[in-house]
Amino acid sequence: MRQPSLSVTMLLGAGLLGTVWAAAQTADPTSAAAPWFEDVTHKAGIFYRHHPRQFDNPYASIMQGYARLGSAVAVADYDGDGFEDIFVTDSCSTCKNHLYHNNGNFTFTDVAEQAGVADGNDDDNASTAALWFDFNNDGKPDLLVVRFGHSILYENLGSGKFRDVTKSAGLDRYLNAIKAIAFDYDNDGYPDLFFGSYFQPIDIFHPSTPRFFPESFETANNGGGVTVFHNNRNGTFTEVTEHVGLLTTGWTLDLGHGDSNNDGFEDLYVANDFGTDRFFVNNGNGTFTDKTATAIGFDTKKGMNVDWGDYNNDGLLDIYVTNIYDDYMKECAMLWQNMGDGTFVDVSNEVGTCDTGWGWGAKFVDYDNDGWLDLYVMNGWVSGGKEDYVPDIFAMVTRPNVDLADARNWPPIGNKSLSGYERKRLFHNVGGVFREEAFRQGLDSLKDGRGIAVADFDNDGRLDLFVTNADDEANLYRNILPTGAHWLTLLLEGTKSNHFAIGAQVRLTAAGKTYLEYVNGGNGFAAQSTVRVHFGLGGVTKIDSLQVRWPSGLKQTFAGPDVDHLYKVVEGQTANTLTLWRPRS
Amino acid sequence: MNKWLPWLVSILVLAASAPSIGEVAAEAAFRQGMTAVQSNDFASGLHYLELAITDDPDNLRYASEYRQAIIRRKEFDRSIEFFEKLLISNPSSANLHLNYGFAYVDKIPVVGSITQVILANTALGEFTKAVDLQPTWIALYTRGESYLFWPRIFGKAPLGVADLERALVIQQKSTKKSYFARVYVALGDGYCKMDLPDKARSTWQEGLRQFPDNLELKDRLSLPMDDLLKHIENGFDPNKRVDTDLRAIWSEGQ
Repeated sequence: MRQPSLSVTMLLGAGLLGTVWAAAQTADPTSAAAPWFEDVTHKAGIFYRHHPRQFDNPYASIMQGYARLGSAVAVADYDGDGFEDIFVTDSCSTCKNHLYHNNGNFTFTDVAEQAGVADGNDDDNASTAALWFDFNNDGKPDLLVVRFGHSILYENLGSGKFRDVTKSAGLDRYLNAIKAIAFDYDNDGYPDLFFGSYFQPIDIFHPSTPRFFPESFETANNGGGVTVFHNNRNGTFTEVTEHVGLLTTGWTLDLGHGDSNNDGFEDLYVANDFGTDRFFVNNGNGTFTDKTATAIGFDTKKGMNVDWGDYNNDGLLDIYVTNIYDDYMKECAMLWQNMGDGTFVDVSNEVGTCDTGWGWGAKFVDYDNDGWLDLYVMNGWVSGGKEDYVPDIFAMVTRPNVDLADARNWPPIGNKSLSGYERKRLFHNVGGVFREEAFRQGLDSLKDGRGIAVADFDNDGRLDLFVTNADDEANLYRNILPTGAHWLTLLLEGTKSNHFAIGAQVRLTAAGKTYLEYVNGGNGFAAQSTVRVHFGLGGVTKIDSLQVRWPSGLKQTFAGPDVDHLYKVVEGQTANTLTLWRPRS
Repeated sequence: MNKWLPWLVSILVLAASAPSIGEVAAEAAFRQGMTAVQSNDFASGLHYLELAITDDPDNLRYASEYRQAIIRRKEFDRSIEFFEKLLISNPSSANLHLNYGFAYVDKIPVVGSITQVILANTALGEFTKAVDLQPTWIALYTRGESYLFWPRIFGKAPLGVADLERALVIQQKSTKKSYFARVYVALGDGYCKMDLPDKARSTWQEGLRQFPDNLELKDRLSLPMDDLLKHIENGFDPNKRVDTDLRAIWSEGQ
């Protein structure tokens, strides 16, 4: 793995750290004020609680420690009423998934049963994540329920109803999938589907062998890896994993896409537990090349999350990956600063985003609308009893010649804790360096956090957060930022490109600076955030211009719209000015 | 990890007696090895240093210089294999066990977090063998400090403190050396890890009385408690290279 080069260190040290860190230490004029987030979960009508899967097989007592997954969230405006709705997954065999329809007043109603999307769990399948994506480009987000087992694709029928089209779509495949994202890797106008799987595709509910655990803590290659389905543009998919060059066998926990080199094609970062992450560059011809060695180097960490964002406003997308950082395992999270030459440098230590605890989902989000992407990070594995599981694990790993792939060699966790009761991290970006402010802003829960969905649920220009927690209730945090910082939000609609314009980049120029945002197709562990593009503008009241680069390759420049509004941008529209977009009354 | 009275003792013993033919050959090989290493000829340098250690396995200086060259070349497995083989024919050399342990410690910063645990555990085992064979200042200090690197959850800090207290007793009966300050530093750190901050502070104060110029002791005594604990924990970060160079011992002794 590349360490910061002398020049980068000097840049950070002399340029950023010298001036900006001083600013970061300056007293915040609002520091005595109330937190900027309010937990409104119950007030909003959300009483969902996650229940881990209980396994019923010879290895159940061991798997129990590794089953605290599946508490996930995905956000989309599924009914097109202008308000973002929320889908959440549960995991126990009799538990239902939930579709919370946004009532438009920051309350929600669970309509999963009526919609036909509640049944995500049974004895042979466990929900692990969800993804909204418009597979048939009809403008209505469809829903993929990702599962250990057979994932389900629900087509959005447009009347508040969904139907299972998994088989006809060619997606009926057993995978121990834990993540899916959708983006148009070949820019043919339809979103393709990428699964990340943890275990290899064996029936983990009834395993026929005990040898299905990771063979190593640092170099495991017996996991589920990545599976890619190409969208055939007719409602069906074809598996193309090997053909596109993405055949991997890591213990994949998350996938994240972004255009690292601004060539108009989406690249892919794969976060793997128990071994190295992988970085694939899109060749622009429907294939990818593994550039791990030169771009990021090989690591031995426990990759949990990938998110992309331009944290330092240099016009290049950077990548944030969580790992495990605790008293017993000091694996910094990685903030991969994009150097613009095909390489990334991990600057997490230098900018203050290293210590996340046992990291899970993490999202770039400009929660204070100041034009700098902040980072909110989930953490905590098992918050159980007072006894700690770490010595049991260390006793196992120091045993000579232990066969880690054999589940029977792993100690049962019982009621012990492992990196439990951890305080969440909110890294506030102050000009390129970060200071931790979760407590200050009311976001420091002690639950075992998993996914974070970012969306503006009340369309007030302040980004809200929906957080899922393992074996616990979720948290819906309403952003009540009092600063009056300005903002701009865009909803992009592709015509030649895929309908929701996944992969589109938007560059906003104002006050002599250019900011980059893009539409992503589900980045972030156990979560999918809004597809809307949001810019925080701080004190800026005049936007000079907006440039949209569509996945089709079309570039359009628009006159600067008024701040503090939501606009719709249609690919190829002839008007130079943007149209205000309002939710249905 | 640091500094080493028994070697001084061995120097004195050596000075009082004529060197054997093996020792003369070892010293010649050592000098040849060091010359080669200094001119970046590591292939020859490491070879001659290995010859020197083979001829004089208990010699801490030879082994220390060898490991420093290994660190520069990042050939950590070579030194581990070398010491492992040499121990087969010299199982009762305490210093060899010590250096074998150090060879594992030298590798820790370049491996993954779980391998770090495995290496640290193996190193600790070797340090224990060294203590069992010869409970010298250096063996006790080394193992004591090594225990302190383990996360609190393992409860090894009291074991480390016990070793360091024994090392303190030994050094109090010996001629004062500047590196003895390290025991005060480490012992205070150990008390901190045992949540005995007052005892830590008084240990560092006593150390500072003995060694008024020691910056590590001054730093610890000047920090507020929260910063102090962070400072100490940062020092036990397995990703940072631990100083296993024993050079200070003979440079001060000579």
